[in-house]
Amino acid sequence: MPNGSVVTIERVTKRFAGHTAVDQLTMQVPAGGIFGLLGPNGAGKSTTIRMIMNIITPDDGRISVMGRESASRDLSERIGFLPEERGLYKKMKVLDMLTFLGETKGVRRSAARQKANAWLDRLGLADWKAKKVEDLSKGMQQKVQFIGALLHDPELLILDEPFAGLDPVNSQVMKDVVVEAARKGKTVLFSTHIMEQAERMCDHIVIIARGRTVVDGRLSEVKRQFGGRHVALSFTRNQDRAGKVLSDPGLVSKLDDYGASAEVELAPTGDADRLLRSLVEADVGLSRFEIVEPSLQSIFIAKVGPEAAVAPAQEVVHA
Amino acid sequence: MRKVWAIVRREVVERVRTKAFIIGTLLFPVLMGVLVVLPAFLMSRSTGTKTIALVDAAPGGGGGGVGGDLGARIEEALQGARIGRGPEAKPRYSVQRFAAAGRADEVRDSLVPSTGLSRKQATGWDGILVITDSTLPTGKASYYGANVASLSDMEDLERAMRPVVIAKRLQGLGVDLETVMKSVQGIDLATTKVSNGKLTGESGASTFALAYAMGFILYFALLLFGTQVMTSIIEEKTSRIVEVLASSLTPFQMMLGKVVGVGLVALLQLGIWASIAAYLASHQAQVMRMFGVTVAAGAAPGFSLPSMPVDLLIVFFVFFALGFLLYAAAYAAVGAMCSTVQDSQQMQMPVMLFVLTGFFSTFMLMRDPNSTAAQVLSYIPMFTPFAVPLRYSISPIPVLELAGSLGVTVLGMLGIVWVASRIYRVGILSYGKKATLRDMLRWIRTA
Repeated sequence: MPNGSVVTIERVTKRFAGHTAVDQLTMQVPAGGIFGLLGPNGAGKSTTIRMIMNIITPDDGRISVMGRESASRDLSERIGFLPEERGLYKKMKVLDMLTFLGETKGVRRSAARQKANAWLDRLGLADWKAKKVEDLSKGMQQKVQFIGALLHDPELLILDEPFAGLDPVNSQVMKDVVVEAARKGKTVLFSTHIMEQAERMCDHIVIIARGRTVVDGRLSEVKRQFGGRHVALSFTRNQDRAGKVLSDPGLVSKLDDYGASAEVELAPTGDADRLLRSLVEADVGLSRFEIVEPSLQSIFIAKVGPEAAVAPAQEVVHA
Repeated sequence: MRKVWAIVRREVVERVRTKAFIIGTLLFPVLMGVLVVLPAFLMSRSTGTKTIALVDAAPGGGGGGVGGDLGARIEEALQGARIGRGPEAKPRYSVQRFAAAGRADEVRDSLVPSTGLSRKQATGWDGILVITDSTLPTGKASYYGANVASLSDMEDLERAMRPVVIAKRLQGLGVDLETVMKSVQGIDLATTKVSNGKLTGESGASTFALAYAMGFILYFALLLFGTQVMTSIIEEKTSRIVEVLASSLTPFQMMLGKVVGVGLVALLQLGIWASIAAYLASHQAQVMRMFGVTVAAGAAPGFSLPSMPVDLLIVFFVFFALGFLLYAAAYAAVGAMCSTVQDSQQMQMPVMLFVLTGFFSTFMLMRDPNSTAAQVLSYIPMFTPFAVPLRYSISPIPVLELAGSLGVTVLGMLGIVWVASRIYRVGILSYGKKATLRDMLRWIRTA
């Protein structure tokens, strides 16, 4: 996968009757890895994704996908899309449905059938191939839809709330598929308002609220920036030497000393690796060295909490 | 293009597989067969020879008098009436005359108990015909029977009696009997259509039947399959499948695939029906016999497929296809504007009005296929599919005019498809409220 961004959004605005769903949004989805588009309900996540997919057009600003503007449909062979609103033909048989979805992505009929079969086997739906979609449970339908997005082996996967409404077992299965795709060098962009999921999976996140970017960056970076950088320590001997290391202003900017244990905030010039090396050299008998990061949940609440409370409960699409 | 083909294939395969399609395809010919066989069946029953009691209270009817033999003449005329033509045609009536001068009511009342019996008895009557002394001067006669509601039965009876009464009157004025019989001979108009200076061998009735059939098939197909396009788009909106499709196809491709797919299903179904109809028509006699109806040659008008010349078939097919695309696109746009089938009931009214106007205009066109109104209708894209093949079937249309109509229809079709696809494009992704006229105009304008 080449470096650079797969999706570039520049100062994009989309207004619907009565409110602005996306307001001067700018973000870039780097190639490779998992990109999380986070935000409370009504933040404009789905609208943004729909605009990336060229289902709706922005009122203002530019969107380019794989270096091409407003052409996601021409690139649909290379993009897999799971919309927020799941949609399948209820009366079609599962295998026919997936074959059809593959065909609309430009895969040949026989190849589409073969791939659909393989995926259905892998996701445990082999016995349901000949059943009608409407006979499947909601979770199973969601898996079918998910297969529909992956079937043509796209370079870019755009998943709108892929885990919503799934039980933990199925959630896990889908997560594995997504992670595997990213490991193979594909780019995954997914939206969610479930922070735990994003925290475990994403390399890069953007948090939007009320149509604007609130946080943007690599997950580790975001945490570092937001959380100060706290390290919790405990030592079993040579407390004086430890105290000496910890009083180095190049390493530690703030020290909370409890004698056998301490909590420090790393100095801007210092990093955890150097602190650990110094402490090991000082032979203090470390029993705990933990980088205490703020959870994404706490960052999210701190950043969008007040806004989320007043965000509209549901997005309604009018054009 | 392969993507559009995928949509077309899905439409056709999934539609043809439905129970509704299979039942509809099979049930319609059965109904059609019933419609053909039943009248012939009923007719063979009702056209049996009728036994008529002629109560003759006219002067001369047994009682003697001036008028002479009116009753006897009428009896003779009725006996002579035949069902159909040809040597083996059955007599229409079996008549027995009762002389009843001065006591017509009495004789009639004595006959009534054995008239119109549900089970035929040897002694029963189908009807009682009473003529009195006022029959000759005023033409008044009375008929009592179970079949009085049958207009054709009554007409037959009147037709049989009329010449006798007229002849009798003229004779009373001193006109020679032979001259009278010649002068009251009716007119039997045999119609044959002439097209482009050639005799076609078609009668006026079959030309009319053909023109009507073409209009009806188009009307039927537009309403049936146009509505199918509309409801299936609403279903796709409701199930949100449109979002998945919209990410890989342009709305125009989606609409094209849907309209062509449903159109092919329509052709398939109509084709099956037409083949069955053609088979039934060509094997009419056998089919009738299967139902125990024997048809004497020329006795029952029955039903025959009018022959369709190749050029007319081409004109019909071309305009049918264009009309179907035009209206199906309009229905697609209506479907895209609605979120529920209930909404669509109201929203499809304008489209339906055009279809209805087109269909009903065919009756006007049949009366006068070359009127100014007919020519105007041949240049309005919404109506050409109805007007042009019909006019073409009745009387030839100049080539230039035909080409003009075709051009206008193609342009109109493209225009409506364009407008419809713009409405469709925005409409399919708008949920919730019904679109207003203002919304629609805005959708058409937005790039």
